[in-house]
Amino acid sequence: MKPQVNIIVLVDVVGALSERTLNDGNLSLVDDGQFDSPGQGTTRLCTVVSPGQLVQWTAVAVDVQTPVEIRSITFLGSGDAALEEPDAADAQDVPAHEGTAPDLKVWSGFVPPYLVPGAPYRYRLELQMHEGPNSVLHVDSPALMSA
Amino acid sequence: MAQQQAIIVLVDIANALRERTLRGNVYLFDNMRFLGSTGEGTGDLVTAIPGSYWSDGSQGSEQVLNWLPSSLGSIPPTVPRGYHTERSQAIDRQALEDLTALAGQGTVPGADPAAGLADIRSRVGTRARRARGGRAPVGGKLLDITGNAVTGAGTAAVNPPAPIITDVTGEAVDEKIMYPAQYGSPDMVSDGWYWSATVDTARPGTYAYTMHIQLHELVIRDGEQVWEPVDLTCDSAIRVTTEPKYNAFTGAGLGPLPVPAAPSP
Repeated sequence: MKPQVNIIVLVDVVGALSERTLNDGNLSLVDDGQFDSPGQGTTRLCTVVSPGQLVQWTAVAVDVQTPVEIRSITFLGSGDAALEEPDAADAQDVPAHEGTAPDLKVWSGFVPPYLVPGAPYRYRLELQMHEGPNSVLHVDSPALMSA
Repeated sequence: MAQQQAIIVLVDIANALRERTLRGNVYLFDNMRFLGSTGEGTGDLVTAIPGSYWSDGSQGSEQVLNWLPSSLGSIPPTVPRGYHTERSQAIDRQALEDLTALAGQGTVPGADPAAGLADIRSRVGTRARRARGGRAPVGGKLLDITGNAVTGAGTAAVNPPAPIITDVTGEAVDEKIMYPAQYGSPDMVSDGWYWSATVDTARPGTYAYTMHIQLHELVIRDGEQVWEPVDLTCDSAIRVTTEPKYNAFTGAGLGPLPVPAAPSP
């Protein structure tokens, strides 16, 4: 078993900000796991993992001069608060990195042992692109799944 | 993930040549204002360079600077690099066609070939030589900002060559905070060469640096128009900050992913 699975979050920031969506080809998710994860290259990537593996997400901008970073990764519960739309005012908040350097957060963690094999655990991936009122966009479609 | 930062060096060439200084005649911009750059749009830009380090103290991310010189009153740097040559050729072709037409009128009564020739001569413009050892990319026709030829009388309208950065020196380089070099680029619109630097973000502080910028002045030498290089300098600074990386899920060290007990519906 590979000790680590990397998930690359490839973002066309100019496309995403222009169309105000991470869909339509503006976001591509790819992983290097060993279990043939379905949805490679799309926003519906379902990364197949084993308990105990380390998973790490990394954001990469297609245009290297447009800053992008992962603002949050939230696993969606069974119809609880996590599924609610983020508060509009909250999204307009001062960016988390304001006054601090970007690239500080490392998004990684171990796969817990209690996952039900074969069931996708979807997560909300929120991206911060530069700053401004529409600079935070998210998708709810990617998932982790235990082999 | 390292970010690439762009610093636009906008030069008021006419005033800089008149005053023989870039002080007050240069405007600097970068894309890091939201991370704390100050003095955007002035000559006193201090570029914020955010860095980060791992828990063992090693550098977490490097930064890359790109300097892009531009000028007020020039043909914009975004036009294809062959624009100047193509315009020169187009003007010459048009002059040849006009000459052919004029030759055909030779037997037409009342035609004034001398006036026709003078007219063509005024539109075909003049050339300027490249000074010996100069780096000006031009040696061709004098064009104004609209791409039309300029004759001797209208030299004030001449579109000067874009400013060229010839070196980057100073405290930040001496202290080995940044490592500048000139790079070739396949980019057709930026003329192929640009200065870039990687920055060591492990040593926070404010460091000054100096850009050496070459402008070109149109002068008459031995009866010929020549682009004479004029070397000037422009000071700026970077402010390097650095902070520790941390796991975004836990706020501190590595742990299990916060996955709910039941899969999402």
